[in-house]
Amino acid sequence: MRLHPVGEAILLDDTGVSLGGQAILRGMGLEVSAGEVVGIAGPNGSGKTTLLRLLATLVSPDEGTGHVLGAALGSPEVFRVRPRIGLISHTPAVIGELTLRENVLHATRLAGHDPNRVDKAMRVVGLDEAAARRADAGSFGMLRRTEIARLLITEPSLLLLDEAFSGLDGDAQELIDALIARTLQREGAAVLVSHDTEHLGLRAGRVLALRSGSLVALA
Amino acid sequence: MSFWAQAMEIARIDLRVERRLGDVMRIVLPFAVVALLVFPLSLSAELATISRIGPAVFWALGILFGMQVALRQAANDRPERRDLYALLGVDPSARFVGRSISGSVLMLGFFLALLLAMIVLYTPNLPEGWPAPVSAALLLTGVGLTELGTLAGEITAGLRNRTSLASLIVAPLALPLVIGGSQTLESLARGAGILPWLLLLVATDLGLAVAGVALARPLEEASR
Amino acid sequence: MMRVRMLLGTAAVAVAFGMWLAFTSPTDDLQGEFSRILHIHAPVMWVAFLAFGVTALASIMWLVRKTARWDRLGEASAESGVLFTAIGLFTGMVWGQAVWGRAWDWGDARLASTAVMFFVYVGYLALRRATPDPEMKARRSAILGVVAVVQVPLVYFSVYLFRTLHQTPSIRPDGAAMPQEMLVALLVNFAAITYLFVALLVTRLQVAKAEADATTDSRLAGDAVKPPRLSEVKDV
Repeated sequence: MRLHPVGEAILLDDTGVSLGGQAILRGMGLEVSAGEVVGIAGPNGSGKTTLLRLLATLVSPDEGTGHVLGAALGSPEVFRVRPRIGLISHTPAVIGELTLRENVLHATRLAGHDPNRVDKAMRVVGLDEAAARRADAGSFGMLRRTEIARLLITEPSLLLLDEAFSGLDGDAQELIDALIARTLQREGAAVLVSHDTEHLGLRAGRVLALRSGSLVALA
Repeated sequence: MSFWAQAMEIARIDLRVERRLGDVMRIVLPFAVVALLVFPLSLSAELATISRIGPAVFWALGILFGMQVALRQAANDRPERRDLYALLGVDPSARFVGRSISGSVLMLGFFLALLLAMIVLYTPNLPEGWPAPVSAALLLTGVGLTELGTLAGEITAGLRNRTSLASLIVAPLALPLVIGGSQTLESLARGAGILPWLLLLVATDLGLAVAGVALARPLEEASR
Repeated sequence: MMRVRMLLGTAAVAVAFGMWLAFTSPTDDLQGEFSRILHIHAPVMWVAFLAFGVTALASIMWLVRKTARWDRLGEASAESGVLFTAIGLFTGMVWGQAVWGRAWDWGDARLASTAVMFFVYVGYLALRRATPDPEMKARRSAILGVVAVVQVPLVYFSVYLFRTLHQTPSIRPDGAAMPQEMLVALLVNFAAITYLFVALLVTRLQVAKAEADATTDSRLAGDAVKPPRLSEVKDV
């Protein structure tokens, strides 16, 4: 068994994931240390989202081993670290019938954080005047900002962003950059997944390519 | 946040969403009352027969339409929301309990309104002293049906034909609830003891609660 | 606002006058005091039919013109129609309990068909509520509003089409089957309750217009989204 050094946010060792009987990831190796931003590029259908969900501990490996924030993937240890993981996936995770503010407040309360921080977070992301709008009446950009507000409050140690910049204006992209910076300042780490290698290159310390279910260094 | 605080937060939000959507009281309930209307029209029976079958029709329609109330959360449950709750550290058992609480509140309101409609439309001969035991039976049936619906929703999470499949799972498993509820009134009318039937409902509810809490986490992980 | 208050005020006075006439006019020999329910029941049912007819017309006008006020008229009229149908059903059941000995009789085709009509329009209102987008709400409601009005003649003619307990209309082309004073009271109540319907409709339309103006910000929707305050991120 390989020991993982202190300070490693992610350690995947020959990890594989199959979904619906189909192998999606195979022989995956990845090390991400605290304070790092790693970019993962790959075309559509290459398994980027599955990889991110694996790192979020929402999917268990079928082969190999993996550790995220010190918890072994596929074991009950993951329940301990999940609240320290922040995920922005393709579809915004909001409840449509609640207002933008209510969505952030609901998540804040469930996570056990101070509800008094919600209004400040909404102001910072520029949604204070739109806070009373229902989520199902909000634009994609507004919903993304709502998720960012939530993550500003929950302060994850590991930030996982799945095509988080796509469809966003410059202001919203700057917000995500600020969120990444804040995570790193607190000795966290971030993994960005995108099909846009140029985008990744501007933000990540190193960029890997997802090919044939495995990660390789991008030439 | 503690287990019960999470459960109450989830129940609170669920009721707020229902207040804004109005699925149960504005759609399912009127639908159920229309079914109450259609039944005797298609029978063309004598009034005495209609009065006699009223309670039975109420329980049958109550369970069938109650299933729609119980399964509405499953229908609205999106994968992103499930993932969010997992990453916020929400205990799946707390989510089960929270949804059972909010669903039970809605179910009780639904059953009481449907009962009132049945009494007006069918003029059944209800025995003396019926309100308290019938209300107790309704509450217990509602709790059990909600727990069953929430469990079935978890079992079928992520499947495309989730709602119809969950209905198929719930319907036969709801049989003890139908029997317990309907026989409470029947026994009261005959002057027989109602305690065994209420105990059947309590036992069913407890069993489902234990199963729901114990299986919540394995079911959540299995749904990914 | 003044106009609405005047309308509602005068409608209340008219209805009060109608009720006074209803309670001071002669009663039917067989039904006794319960025949006075007719002075409420018949007018509210007439108004319900009228309301649903207005909804249907407003729906057609929306489909042709696509202007919001026709949609608001359709909705307001349907709401009134549901309210008046509920009152009609309730008064009918009270009368049925007193005269037939039972509040609900499955042998009465009009009662059953009226209840079905009630739920059709409850469904209409539920559809509106479930549709957030105003354009889609108006379109779907308009189509349903046109289709649903077929219930109205079905209910009205049910007393002729089916053998039923419900009495046939008391006022017919060949005359009224009631004393003169009773007829006058009934006609006054028809007028008063119709006037009440108009007053409620105007009030509701004003409220609906105010609600629409309030939710339709004069600002652009996008103006509510401000630039982020990046320097304050650390303060969250």
